[in-house]
Amino acid sequence: MKRGLVSWDKNELPAEELAKRLAAVHAVARNRNVDAVVVYSDVWRSNDARYLSNYMPYWNRAFVVVPRDETPMLLCALSPRVYPWIKTVTVHETVIASPSPPATLFKLCDERGWKRIGVCDLEGLPTDLYAELTSGKAEIVDISRSEVRLAPAAVEVRMHARAAQMAREVLEQEITTRIAKNDHELTGRLERVLRRAGAEDVVILVSDGEGPPIPAEGRPIGAHTSVVVAIEYNGHWAKVTRNFSDVTSSLTSPGKVTQLREILSGPYSWENVNDIGDDAIVSVQLQIPANGRHFYYGDTCLQNREGLRVL
Amino acid sequence: MLKLNPQRKQEFLELMARRGWDMLLFYGDTWRKEHFRCLVSVCFTGPQAVALLTKEGEVRAVVTHPWDVEPVKAGTGGPVAYAPRLVEGLKTLLRDAGNAVVAVNGLEQMEARFSLAVKEMSAAAPVSATADVEEIRRVKTQEEIEWIRKAADLADRGYEHFVSAARAGMTEYELVAEVEGFVKAHGAEDNFMLVASGGTEVTAMKPPTARKLQVGDSVITELTPQINGYYAQICRTLIIGPPSEKQLQSYAIFAEAQQAAQDLLRPGVDISDVARVQNDVFRKHGFGEYTGSQYTRVRGHNLGLYPDELPHVLESSHYTCKKDMVIICHPNTYLPLSGYMVFGDTLLVTETGCVSLSRTEKRLFQA
Repeated sequence: MKRGLVSWDKNELPAEELAKRLAAVHAVARNRNVDAVVVYSDVWRSNDARYLSNYMPYWNRAFVVVPRDETPMLLCALSPRVYPWIKTVTVHETVIASPSPPATLFKLCDERGWKRIGVCDLEGLPTDLYAELTSGKAEIVDISRSEVRLAPAAVEVRMHARAAQMAREVLEQEITTRIAKNDHELTGRLERVLRRAGAEDVVILVSDGEGPPIPAEGRPIGAHTSVVVAIEYNGHWAKVTRNFSDVTSSLTSPGKVTQLREILSGPYSWENVNDIGDDAIVSVQLQIPANGRHFYYGDTCLQNREGLRVL
Repeated sequence: MLKLNPQRKQEFLELMARRGWDMLLFYGDTWRKEHFRCLVSVCFTGPQAVALLTKEGEVRAVVTHPWDVEPVKAGTGGPVAYAPRLVEGLKTLLRDAGNAVVAVNGLEQMEARFSLAVKEMSAAAPVSATADVEEIRRVKTQEEIEWIRKAADLADRGYEHFVSAARAGMTEYELVAEVEGFVKAHGAEDNFMLVASGGTEVTAMKPPTARKLQVGDSVITELTPQINGYYAQICRTLIIGPPSEKQLQSYAIFAEAQQAAQDLLRPGVDISDVARVQNDVFRKHGFGEYTGSQYTRVRGHNLGLYPDELPHVLESSHYTCKKDMVIICHPNTYLPLSGYMVFGDTLLVTETGCVSLSRTEKRLFQA
């Protein structure tokens, strides 16, 4: 669940960067001849909306609506009692209470005379919202994610790198001190330090060398233990994996070692897809056989035409 | 170790027979895992997981992360396919569906492209099983109650840690970090937690901010650890330093309202009345206007594999309570006396009434 510090540090993420992203969506609206572009958001599919407006829900569903050549509005199922807080951490000046975001969107269509609405990744919407939006009350046009999300800019790469650095430092320190006796204790220790450092969300998985990394089950920590730390820092995910035997391999040319590549800048926090585009923030996870066990090692990388670069 | 819930599986098979469904899909995504976990008690870590229950009782699954294959296979004892794109995974899973009637638990949350794939493979749009499955899940099995007891115990210990950690000068997010680290170290799989601090300007709980706690603050939290998939919740208010008269007066109203709910809750009672008796306490003290949606959300809710299950405890919501439901009653709302205040226990409905699974003292805490 999202429950750590949600903030907007304008030194890290300048308003100009968000304005640039918004301008790109305005251009999409003009080019596709739509009156507004809609981006869906929920608790675990928040990356795209966060990219546009810095909105990151701790609960419930929402639409970020970008009218052509206007600032974005938020149609939000959360209580108006939290809107003052939302306004402090996002670009949104207009937040509309929306138990049903599609119903509010259609009301806006009526009020503003909107006829054609673009929806980012239309078929990615939850089935109930998709059914309501495509019920014929307005013309709905699919806008692909690649039109809305540009290749990662320097600011975005820096944020992911900062998240990866936090995860690496805390995890490597924990492995060095070897204080935790079991995976619950280890998870708690990592969680505490990372959240105190400002992590928005933390997910820890542990492998005992016999099976894949899974959530803690109270198993003892030993030389065969590998630990995956996924961390969200101000809306930017990183995933770092280390093991207690310091077994490593090259992330950029792993050879015959089993490799898993996940996109961290997609709609979900991480998603293992075959067709990651040229420019993306990815997690590279290696499964390395040694001493009759499997060790895991991984990190967060920028993937582009030049190849992979560990952040 | 198999992690299929045999009692639930039987109930789902009976549901399928009653409704005429040939196949029942249990769809979970990262946010709403409960739609999958009510059949397969495995905390998957990829974006989605789907289990298929056939009317013959066979269980097959598809997962979208390779690390989920082994635990889900061990949990179901049946075949598990890995498909990074769930559309392809669903098409493989349903390749023999033919004209089968397919129902989906969690259909509403399912990405539309997935439900379109189900429709393509079964020659008809899938029907939603969500409400029917939720109704079955609402009454807990004895094993589920034991997990919720463990979660309630951890909520108690977590709140004790909250009280011992809270101090003036500490930020809200540092306090949450301390509690989060504690409950995870003691076996929580996850924890839903909201917090707020301050005085009469506080109108709601939210994620923690960088605000520093000050003497005189009300520090409010709902703490909801999850053990083996099941959540229990506790709501308490803590004052930094000695409480003011108004804070004490406010707390007394909340305690009276929560007790009224606890005294009434039993099988056969309409959940609307459980809300009404809480609101009546506020009305009696002249604060009736603060029981509406402008100042509050709900007077409680069901608990289980999701921390905010239906029915909600609202005067406008009607549901007849049953034995072995687990409900938190919390009259949380804004009052001009002290700002937003919270107070609530996890309650198990018994044959003749209810018992609180929360052991934390019912009082206004002080740090």
